[in-house]
Amino acid sequence: MKFRFAALAAFVLLVAAPGPARASAVPVVTRGGGVTLITQQDAAAPLLQVVYVVRAGLDRQSLAQNGLAALTAQTILGTPVKGVALSDAIAAAGGSISYTVDPGDVRFEIQSLPEDADRVLALAHAALAAPAFDPATVRAARSKLITRIAENEQVALQVGLDMLSSTLPGSANAGLPEFGLPAALTQLGPDDTKAFYATYYHRGGSYVSAAGRIDALSAGTLASLGQALPDGDTAPVSVKLPPLTGASRQLVAQRDISAPWLIAQYPAPVVGSKDFGPMLVLASFMQRTLADMADVPGVVSETYASRAVGAVYQYENTRPNLVLYVNGGIGNPNRSFATALSIASILASTKLEGSIDDFKAMASGDFISSTNTLEARAWLAVVYDENGAQPDYLSRTLDAISQTSAADLQRVAREYLSNPTIALVLPRQDS
Amino acid sequence: MRRRALAAAALAVMLAPLAASAAGEPSSGALPHGGNYTIYRDATLASAAVDLWFRAPANGYDGASPGIARLAATAAAAAPLESGKSLVSLVRGTGGRLAINVYPDLVDISASVPATVARRVVAAMSAAYFSPAIDDDALKISRTDVAVLSAQERYSPDDLVHDALFAQLFAAGPEHVAPIPANLTDLKGVTLEELRAFAKRAFRSANGTFALAGNVDATLLTAVTAGTPGSPDAPITSTRANVPADRTLNAAVSGEGLAWAGPPIADERSATALDFVADYLFRDETGLVSKSLDPTGDVYVNGQFITLHDPGVMLVTIGGSKPAAAESQVLAAIAKLQQPLDAATFAAAREAFLYHLAADSQAPSQQADNLGWYFAEGNASYAPSDETSTYWKAARSLDPQFVASVVQKYLAHPVVVRLITAPSKEPTS
Repeated sequence: MKFRFAALAAFVLLVAAPGPARASAVPVVTRGGGVTLITQQDAAAPLLQVVYVVRAGLDRQSLAQNGLAALTAQTILGTPVKGVALSDAIAAAGGSISYTVDPGDVRFEIQSLPEDADRVLALAHAALAAPAFDPATVRAARSKLITRIAENEQVALQVGLDMLSSTLPGSANAGLPEFGLPAALTQLGPDDTKAFYATYYHRGGSYVSAAGRIDALSAGTLASLGQALPDGDTAPVSVKLPPLTGASRQLVAQRDISAPWLIAQYPAPVVGSKDFGPMLVLASFMQRTLADMADVPGVVSETYASRAVGAVYQYENTRPNLVLYVNGGIGNPNRSFATALSIASILASTKLEGSIDDFKAMASGDFISSTNTLEARAWLAVVYDENGAQPDYLSRTLDAISQTSAADLQRVAREYLSNPTIALVLPRQDS
Repeated sequence: MRRRALAAAALAVMLAPLAASAAGEPSSGALPHGGNYTIYRDATLASAAVDLWFRAPANGYDGASPGIARLAATAAAAAPLESGKSLVSLVRGTGGRLAINVYPDLVDISASVPATVARRVVAAMSAAYFSPAIDDDALKISRTDVAVLSAQERYSPDDLVHDALFAQLFAAGPEHVAPIPANLTDLKGVTLEELRAFAKRAFRSANGTFALAGNVDATLLTAVTAGTPGSPDAPITSTRANVPADRTLNAAVSGEGLAWAGPPIADERSATALDFVADYLFRDETGLVSKSLDPTGDVYVNGQFITLHDPGVMLVTIGGSKPAAAESQVLAAIAKLQQPLDAATFAAAREAFLYHLAADSQAPSQQADNLGWYFAEGNASYAPSDETSTYWKAARSLDPQFVASVVQKYLAHPVVVRLITAPSKEPTS
């Protein structure tokens, strides 16, 4: 009796008492001189995060320069500042710096304790404005890159995604692997990095996106970072590649791995399009469905089996795509993979009956949980702004999910989920 | 003294609306019907972490029921609530994630959900645990769940080494026994009545602490309608082995580990010094030992200081095909730290340590985990995720001489455990 009363009281409270609402922070955008500055102040955050985006990504290098974008970025991280490499200098100053080479840009991710933010950004500013392209620094950078490539080669999913990236329509140089190939890197030296930097490290189209304890910075620090590079716009290297032809849409690679991986890739809509919300719902639905099927029925805990399969909507890519993957280390990969492809096919041919509210809740929850780190918040604001959407990524995305109907799901599934390209990453036959 | 003050505040909490805490200011207090809460609010986020912590022995109050805490915690999450849905179904249906973490001396139920549904989750979680209604079906689900986790652990060198090292460091008590038993026959003997009795005692509201983080505030806790006022259990301790012995065990996978008994949580400066040592030597990518390993090889080293009520444990696990060389590197690096680092190196390492503390407590789930752990281990004001805590004062006060003295005092003689896949000459557990 007491328990029933308690439950009733809980229900009343649920209805009557307002809980915390949606997040209140809306990114603030300022444009000028080719630089877009986005800020998201968060007084409760423990850090300051800055994402600095420069139009010097994979599409600025030629096929023969495969890896030059990464080599240049790595050289900047190794540039001596006060006697030590920039990355070490920033670590000693209470922060970190890393980079990601994307198809259309390179982004430097800088974090620091609030009280050290001015100092850390000043170090980054100095190296970005005047990198050291001496032989020793470039040689050290090349060595680090070759190590990172070797590490990536052991990650079957990454190998598969790299293969699939190169097949996306219009990918050309933008589909080259993030860190290049060791053979190409050995041909690249100080002159190449110096020339790449001089040609492509310009302000035009750049972003400085900050999140967290922006209040800890001295006035004008972020704007000053945006002025670290010379003025001017750059353009991708023009390449015309014939479209991938042939009856088979399967790519096969062998690596030193213990079990096969099966990966399917579908094209997907861009951020802000009318199909964006439905594709997020489809991706979450497929992720949960695949995990549930792979797992032991009824278990409460997340297990290895549920993590061996997945669906990832890579909407932040220049050429967005949906990836389904199965790790063959657990269970029968063929059966799981066939099931995954069948689900995609059924979604395209059949309108879902009943409420799709649970699917939408999953999609909202998945998206919200992806926005928990400062780096994600700073980067998502850039992705949305780049795609012509307001950088208020959170409310825009939650609204897009909320407005999705069952008919939208079928339409989007039919448009995108019909013809996957498949990558098989297999253990070496002699391993 | 602090805990008494919190309990005395319960009546005021029941009579007056719970006040919203300001952004970035941790707050804590007493739940309306027994138990405590601690909150770190960040209103710019769209998510919430809702954690519920209990002090409870993983092997039962009689010390003879290995895995019972895991079994009970899982069954309570799987049992249907008044709505007909279980807690796990409710959380998943809102787009969230539920995790059940059972340590030798603690149980943590952790939900990461959209902030808009945090209130429903607080209500459901408190109902599921403060008034558990475990039935046969829930027990069956729980047994399956624990069996799957147990099977997984057999192939996880880190987990196996961790449990084996604790079994050597502690002669008796919960820390001596793995929270997830390797031998499932132990679980089969647990009856529904025994499980209910354990849950009723361990998960009573007075023994619980809600740790909330993200876009949350104290008004959420008015959704807690179950519970009975009372006193929490004291932090649970285990009996240390007089002379911990090294051990070699047969296992499905190979691995190696070293452990040292460290300071209690109350010795804040020493415990923080060992956190610093773990960060300086073993942090992934930046640690001195981590960086010295071949990144393309299969050897890896994990090191951490586990802050416990008394004593804490410095624990290093080594995986890969050739762990012996890595073990030598670990021991050499620790021996070197018995001498003070030079001032410049130390200053840089300490600044990096402070940054890592902040970087590791960005997400609400990390903050709730951190607040709840330190509360349950008996030193809430020492939680590192709160930069106004005593932890940060201790971290900033570290100096090379003090760190070296702590290394000399605690890290002289490790206990070593080796897992081998071939038969051993020693008897196995």
